[in-house]
Amino acid sequence: MSFELHRPRSLDEALTLLEKNEGAHVMAGATALVLLMRQGLVRPSVVVSLRDAGLGGIRAESDGALWLGATTTIREAEESPLVRSFCPALAEAFGHVATVRVRDQATVGGNLAHADPAQDPPPMLLALGAEVELAKAGRKKPRRIPVEELLVGLFETSIEEGEILTGVRVPPLPAGTRATYVKFLPRTEDDYATVSVAAVGRVTNGALMDARIALGSVGPTAVRARKTEAALREVALMPGGADNGRLTAAAALVRDEIDPLDDIRGSAEYKREMARVWTERAVRSLLS
Amino acid sequence: MSAVETHPAIPYLPTPEERVEGREKVTGHARYAMDVPIAGALWAAFVGSPYPHARVVSVDAKRALRMKGVRAVISGKDTAPVRFGRRLQDWPILAHDRVRFMGERVAAVAADTRELAEEAARAIEVEYEELPPVFTLEAALAPEAPVLHPERASYLYLGGGEPPKTTHPNQQGVVIHEHGDVAAGFAAAARVFEHTFEYARNHQGYLEPRGTIVWIEKDGVVHVVTTNKAPFTLRMQLSKALGIPEETIVVDAGYIGGDFGGKGLSIDEPALYFLAKKTRRPVRSLLSLSDDFQVTNPRHPGTLRLRTAVDAEGRILAHEAHVLLDGGAYAAGKPQAGLIPGDAGLLLAGYRVPAARVEVVTVYTNNEPAGHVRSPGQPQSAFAADSQIDEIAREMGIDPLEIRLRNAIQPGETDITGHEWHDHLAREVLETLAREMKWDRPLEQRSLGASALDGPAVPRSSTLVGRGIGYCARHVGRGKTELEVEVAEDGCVYVITGAPDQGGGAHTMLQRVVAAELGLPVERVRARRGTTAETRHDPGVGGSRFTPVAGGAAIDGARRLRAELEKLSSDLDEALRLAAERHLRVPGMFDQTQSRYSVCAYGVTVAVDRDTGQFRVTDAVLVADVGTVINPVAHRGQLEGAFAFGLGQTVMEDLVIEDGRVVTANLDGYKLPTMPDVPPLRIVLLTEDYGPGPFGAKSVGELANAAVGPAVANAVRDAIGRRVWSCPITSEKVFEALSGARG
Repeated sequence: MSFELHRPRSLDEALTLLEKNEGAHVMAGATALVLLMRQGLVRPSVVVSLRDAGLGGIRAESDGALWLGATTTIREAEESPLVRSFCPALAEAFGHVATVRVRDQATVGGNLAHADPAQDPPPMLLALGAEVELAKAGRKKPRRIPVEELLVGLFETSIEEGEILTGVRVPPLPAGTRATYVKFLPRTEDDYATVSVAAVGRVTNGALMDARIALGSVGPTAVRARKTEAALREVALMPGGADNGRLTAAAALVRDEIDPLDDIRGSAEYKREMARVWTERAVRSLLS
Repeated sequence: MSAVETHPAIPYLPTPEERVEGREKVTGHARYAMDVPIAGALWAAFVGSPYPHARVVSVDAKRALRMKGVRAVISGKDTAPVRFGRRLQDWPILAHDRVRFMGERVAAVAADTRELAEEAARAIEVEYEELPPVFTLEAALAPEAPVLHPERASYLYLGGGEPPKTTHPNQQGVVIHEHGDVAAGFAAAARVFEHTFEYARNHQGYLEPRGTIVWIEKDGVVHVVTTNKAPFTLRMQLSKALGIPEETIVVDAGYIGGDFGGKGLSIDEPALYFLAKKTRRPVRSLLSLSDDFQVTNPRHPGTLRLRTAVDAEGRILAHEAHVLLDGGAYAAGKPQAGLIPGDAGLLLAGYRVPAARVEVVTVYTNNEPAGHVRSPGQPQSAFAADSQIDEIAREMGIDPLEIRLRNAIQPGETDITGHEWHDHLAREVLETLAREMKWDRPLEQRSLGASALDGPAVPRSSTLVGRGIGYCARHVGRGKTELEVEVAEDGCVYVITGAPDQGGGAHTMLQRVVAAELGLPVERVRARRGTTAETRHDPGVGGSRFTPVAGGAAIDGARRLRAELEKLSSDLDEALRLAAERHLRVPGMFDQTQSRYSVCAYGVTVAVDRDTGQFRVTDAVLVADVGTVINPVAHRGQLEGAFAFGLGQTVMEDLVIEDGRVVTANLDGYKLPTMPDVPPLRIVLLTEDYGPGPFGAKSVGELANAAVGPAVANAVRDAIGRRVWSCPITSEKVFEALSGARG
């Protein structure tokens, strides 16, 4: 296996390299790309490494949004006090990725650009309404799109030739917002999820407002469950934890909003059932 | 009672050993097969079939041979009719007429680099004509099923005797055992229970990849550096397959990075011999993990139908079993005369069985060839039999512990194999377990805490708890071996063995046994492994054999040495000094012929999430009857490792084959347990029943993995009131069982 490796020192330099080398592969933490290369699924002739391109870093923006630079490692995001105070569930979702050794290499941007539906951060970022920025040579302002528009298929994104994902922006969370991420690992702790559920909502007077639900591992991409979200509007728990009749019914809707496959992590039918159970549990935990 | 009398006052056997292998491993000095530098060695790569069953029409290597640095390409035409195998040599070195499983090799390349060899392999064009594949036991045994080995009668069958008599051409192996009056037992029964169990395919899960180097010296001697754990046996198999004398083959196995039963079968060595012959160069190969998953020899999956007759108190009167196992495309991985995996017929091990008829059949299919995995055959048989015992207890309203106590075998009684039992602690193992588990007290529906299941989102009200027992027995290894004991110039005593260490601490055991027998400090005794040209015949590590058999030979060698030393001087140090001058060397031999067993029982507690079927083992205790312990640290490691190994097989490990393709051909799909998955295990050792090994040792290498399956199955049954009849017991299966209970 031989290829040309470039390690540009800036974003501009990286973009210029992409412009000059059509079909070049962009590499960040290399955890996904190198595996694909080893399996012979990707045989790049030119690889542009972003490691030294200065795209890392986590910061709070002036409007209260959270910015995660593309080459921020998953581990940095997981451990960042800024991320944790912004949204503890987001830090936890990063903490669920693979193992410490992988998280120390893999990056926030690479994780999104890989578009693996079994990854942990995408459902959480979807539910938080996050956006990504895409830079390109000659473009003055980066293109900004919601994560939902980035993830278009199995290992497929809407990133165009010549574009580099520079980071992800999580919009400010309104007061009273709660979030949770649950990853169902029935076999072993070291696995991709059978089903994962991210739930975000504002709780006002014990009732859930603006619920946003996203799921992973149950379709070609991480997916928002909009019908379930609509049915969850103003759902509340009664004293003692019983729901007002609508929570269980709403969670059951999620079964038809996902498109799971039969595989070694469970049959499609089991995954639909588990999506229902864990959606209900995730929402309950927001309300409790 | 034992061939080697016991030595109750050995001063340091109870103290933890410093493993001689450990120092070498952590300092990077331990030599594994791929560490051997061979100047000018070429790399081999193979072309595997994309079809599970096909006729090989043609192999076109023109494009590959034109590549610079490609030194040779061989196909089935070059190697036919040579086949290899441990007992029945039915696996072609390279397929010459047809391929019988996906990934089966049809051509091999030798090239200057590994990358080049692989590229050249991809450039070889093979034309196939697909044949109808046979994937299931039913399809293979149908009257009109395609015959997978029409030429079977021409295959070499090693070890003397006749191959097993089969009644269908796709039967691979058959073992039928009968003792006692089975019909009378069933006629006299108060109750008869019949259940069917299923077991999936497991991989051994070793981390060191298989690697091989072969070269042929000018004098014609064939050198083989290998990850095979039984070098002398491999030498014999190669000799028979290749038709060259054993004396012209030298097999060199260094440290082996995990074996778990799988590395008794070698698949690269014969092809490398042909490549080395053709190129006149050393040739090496290294199997990738995903290829290993696709083309080596995993555990046999299958179906076990059990019928058991009991009296009104639940005592076993007679047992009938039909065990049908998928042997895959070749029987080559099985060393047993009947071509079944080890103890697949050992249903109800550790129980008194007055009469039994057990039929075990392995079947040819177009799946990956199956072979030996730690305690071959027994996880299947123990899962079925000890689950059935539990079910019988519940059906008859007998306590699950009590039914085992009533049936636990005593010395002088007859076991499932029809043989007289000689071990004493079956009841004591169960009684100790009951005390450890506080079996007489009801299991508290205690708070499991958030960590028992997946996080704070799991409502406590959805948790069910249960407990179960898994009980099993495993033979103490039999067989014979030889080694040598030498006093070297440095004044140290060397134990010279042909057996490699595959992680169990084999060489530390030899060192400590000889030191204890001679009354020398352990630092004065060392173990040295040599090639088949340098050492006496040894059958290799496996079959729970090494400690009782090689340990016995070490005792024998130490005694012979002492006799010689006493002739030199009555002072041991002086005698050793004189012996060193003379390079005194004596043989040590042992033939372990006793039929002896170790018995063990697990008690496990599980927490089950009733809404998802997810469950975790929250508490586990193992009671094991082990005789004298030689290496306390390695001994414990074997038992703890067996628990983790057994747990993996019970709850997650499943080498799934779909249409011939292994779909879990990597560790992202084929999951092994990691540390967070393995709950703490308490171990209680019963050491007072001495075994036939050195100083009264028994075996533990394979003892404790098979009983994990029924222990967990029975605990889940206890928790949810329904049984999962197939292994692995996945959360989805538990969910389905719960849904059935709800519906």
